[in-house]
Amino acid sequence: MGVLEIRDLHKSFGGTKVINGFSLDVTELTLCCLVGPNGAGKTTTMDLITGRQKPTSGSIVLRGDDITSLSEHEIAQRGIGRKFQVPAVFRELSVRQNFEVAYSREVNPFRNMLRRRPAGFSAKLDEVATLTGLKDRLETEAGFLSHGETQWLEIGMVLMQNPAILLLDEPVAGMTESEIEKTIVFLNELKRTNTLIVVEHDMGFVRQIADVVTVMHMGAFLAQGKLSDIENDPRVREVYLGEPEV
Amino acid sequence: MTSLDIAPFANALVLGLSIASIWLIAAIGLTIIYGTVGVINMAHGEFIMLGAYTSYALQSSFGLPFLLCLPASFAVVALVGLVIERGLIRYLYNRPLDTLLATWGVSLVLMQGVRLIFGSDPKYIAVPEIFQSNVEVGFASLSVFRLVVLAITALIVAGTAYLFYRTRFGMQVRAVMQNKEMAASFGINADRVYMTTFALGAGLAGVAGSLFGVLAIVLPTMGTAYVVQAFLVVVVGGGTLMGSVAAAGLTGELQSVFAFITNDTFARFLLYVLIVVFLRFRPRGLFAVAKGRR
Amino acid sequence: MTTRNLYHSKPAQWAVYGLFFVSIALIPAFVSDGFLLNQFAVYGIYGMLALSISLCWGFGGILNLGQGIAFGLAAYGMAMTMQMQSQDPESNPIPPFMLNNSLEHLPWFWQPFWSTGGGILLALIVPTLFYVVFGTLMFRARVSGPFFAIMSLAMLSAFATLILDMQPYTNGANGISPPSPLSVFGTDIDPYSPTAYWIVCGLLIVTTVGAKLFTQSKFGLVVQALRGDPERVRFLGYNVALYETCIYAISGFIAALAGCLWVMLIQYVSPAQLDTTFSIGMVIWAGIGGRLSLLGAILGAFLIQGGQSYLGDQFLATWLLMLGAFFIVVVRFLPKGLAGLLEKVLGALARQPGKHARPDLPHAISGAPAAGE
Repeated sequence: MGVLEIRDLHKSFGGTKVINGFSLDVTELTLCCLVGPNGAGKTTTMDLITGRQKPTSGSIVLRGDDITSLSEHEIAQRGIGRKFQVPAVFRELSVRQNFEVAYSREVNPFRNMLRRRPAGFSAKLDEVATLTGLKDRLETEAGFLSHGETQWLEIGMVLMQNPAILLLDEPVAGMTESEIEKTIVFLNELKRTNTLIVVEHDMGFVRQIADVVTVMHMGAFLAQGKLSDIENDPRVREVYLGEPEV
Repeated sequence: MTSLDIAPFANALVLGLSIASIWLIAAIGLTIIYGTVGVINMAHGEFIMLGAYTSYALQSSFGLPFLLCLPASFAVVALVGLVIERGLIRYLYNRPLDTLLATWGVSLVLMQGVRLIFGSDPKYIAVPEIFQSNVEVGFASLSVFRLVVLAITALIVAGTAYLFYRTRFGMQVRAVMQNKEMAASFGINADRVYMTTFALGAGLAGVAGSLFGVLAIVLPTMGTAYVVQAFLVVVVGGGTLMGSVAAAGLTGELQSVFAFITNDTFARFLLYVLIVVFLRFRPRGLFAVAKGRR
Repeated sequence: MTTRNLYHSKPAQWAVYGLFFVSIALIPAFVSDGFLLNQFAVYGIYGMLALSISLCWGFGGILNLGQGIAFGLAAYGMAMTMQMQSQDPESNPIPPFMLNNSLEHLPWFWQPFWSTGGGILLALIVPTLFYVVFGTLMFRARVSGPFFAIMSLAMLSAFATLILDMQPYTNGANGISPPSPLSVFGTDIDPYSPTAYWIVCGLLIVTTVGAKLFTQSKFGLVVQALRGDPERVRFLGYNVALYETCIYAISGFIAALAGCLWVMLIQYVSPAQLDTTFSIGMVIWAGIGGRLSLLGAILGAFLIQGGQSYLGDQFLATWLLMLGAFFIVVVRFLPKGLAGLLEKVLGALARQPGKHARPDLPHAISGAPAAGE
């Protein structure tokens, strides 16, 4: 049963078709990697799923719930968490405060005016801070974190949201080798309890985390399957011709 | 409708065109500064005021003819703008709200500085006799000077459009606007482009000032009367030259027509409310400068 | 680089706030001159306005150059209430200036102001409602930053124009000057009495504590987060426009309260209260004092308005020139204002071993109100 079902998605910007009839089913508790050459429409797809842009046509259904026309915060509330390509954290707030904002079980401003510590926060904070290795950095201003730590903080923030699906846009961009190793272990742990979609260029990284790989080309679905099958698919080879990684 | 009904309405339309030209010439310097440099220049009204005082001073102490005062005001205020850009604005380019506030500080300094030098009493700029007469335009009667303002505005719009769309400098400006780093790698000095544009925008405010000094009186506070309208033209237009032309035309005509139906001040209120509603649907104005994030 | 230091300690902050409250509450014990006391109460109102700016600009990142809208509209509401207290429904139902403008009936929108409670309620609610509507329109369209600042300024100028234009109903540029002080429950509140001072002082304390608690709540945290990156907050599931509208309306409500109190003290209102210079002045107070510190903003208002009236009208031009120059320096070098300077100093002290930062703190801050008052 698919958690997320994308049907015949189209998006054009003033005549240019960026997404052209893309469909995708994401199965519960899997890690799906979205790959494709530059300009294939991966980030645009992310934008469409999270409501940052509206599709020209097509539908996006989350657990039987049509979310196509909802706004960003409504989609986020229904359980889609997103980590951006360029890490976006609140640099002026401490790591703890970043986590606290991300713990968005209660989003009503009036109820939040009366509340200082939301219920269940400390337990969740403890869990996520341990998982992301930021436990002794909680009081640091996020602006002072290293690049790797910032990436981890943002992944942690998405986890604090308790999402049904995590969308990670190039989670290891700019990370050192050892940080990437750590992320691989972490993501393999995470997919036992979560559903993830990861956009990634680095095939070596994809090999070590992906359950399913979906290839996009020119805004459309090209192929899907295990990485080994994908790598032998002649159409994929053609698309990637000249790309050394495949 | 009889011709009796049409005449005052046509008059309102012609008057609207004149209002539009005044708002446009007040806004044009602001537009190129906002559109290119991204700075909301709160001292723009004071640049206008400085232009008026420059013309006044040159005329009263050296007897410079009015038509020569215009380029002189341009030069003087452009220089002031240059100094302010080099001394302050360039350090604040990535902090838009702070530039807005800092330029407000500048406006306070300029206004009070002029008040200390020239005093608070009104000054007047003399123009040739012929500018003071009236002329019939179809159904409407308009002072010759307002036609002069209209003509100068048209000239300046044409000149600015030529500069920004037909010259090498204009190409550099657009390159910098689209991608500063990329432009730099092609050897375009963004810093220099910003500096020149800011000075140019200030200079144009100076020209507007010497015209406004004739339309009304010259006072240290005169800039504040124009600056809100000028900002609205930029906001409605979206920060492009053509946007400002369209926005000034639209708002000027609406102001004039509303004023024809009600009165001047209530018309202004109506217009502002309408702009708020307009922005609800087009928050980036008529012709927005496209801006992507992330 | 600022590290967390004593400046960020919540107990220390509350201690300093407490000290500030005690010192302003004690002023009537030392000042017997009614005019001076009235003047100090007016500073308290400026402090309230700076507080409201600090909330929406400092914490929410919403630069509001039109705070005079709430202040001015509420001031008009209060003046209308006080004016109607001097009218009699039977013998003399129409205020004198309306008679001079040859109005024969009391306009409908003046009717509710017969009731003192109703009038004050309207004075507070109407501006706040306007903020809710205007805020919803702007923030939903994601108008933000400089554009919002400009639109708030334009709205302010529109209101000032409207009030000037409605001469028969508002007395135009002359404004409304109610002949007698505000009377509640049968007692007059003499604007030059300690009672008036304490009302203002009490409400300043209440709004400051309330604002401080707001900033420390989860709501306040979300508001601070959206100042840095509204888009990120949106993707965490929060309705950013709603949060922005809330903080903007709360700040408007505080400004409206200040407007009511101002007329209670001055017994006068005119379109000058909706002047753009006055509204931008509030931003300057908060900017110099420190927009990210509620107390800093309040003290900034005390300092600047105190300095201005100390020097008097004779040096007004010079003073404003210096103020403008100083403001430029603050924006350029001290974006967090004087409070930010204190934060840096305390941070530097905390890093020096062998020096105790703690005893320096109350001293350093409590020195400031003395300079302002």
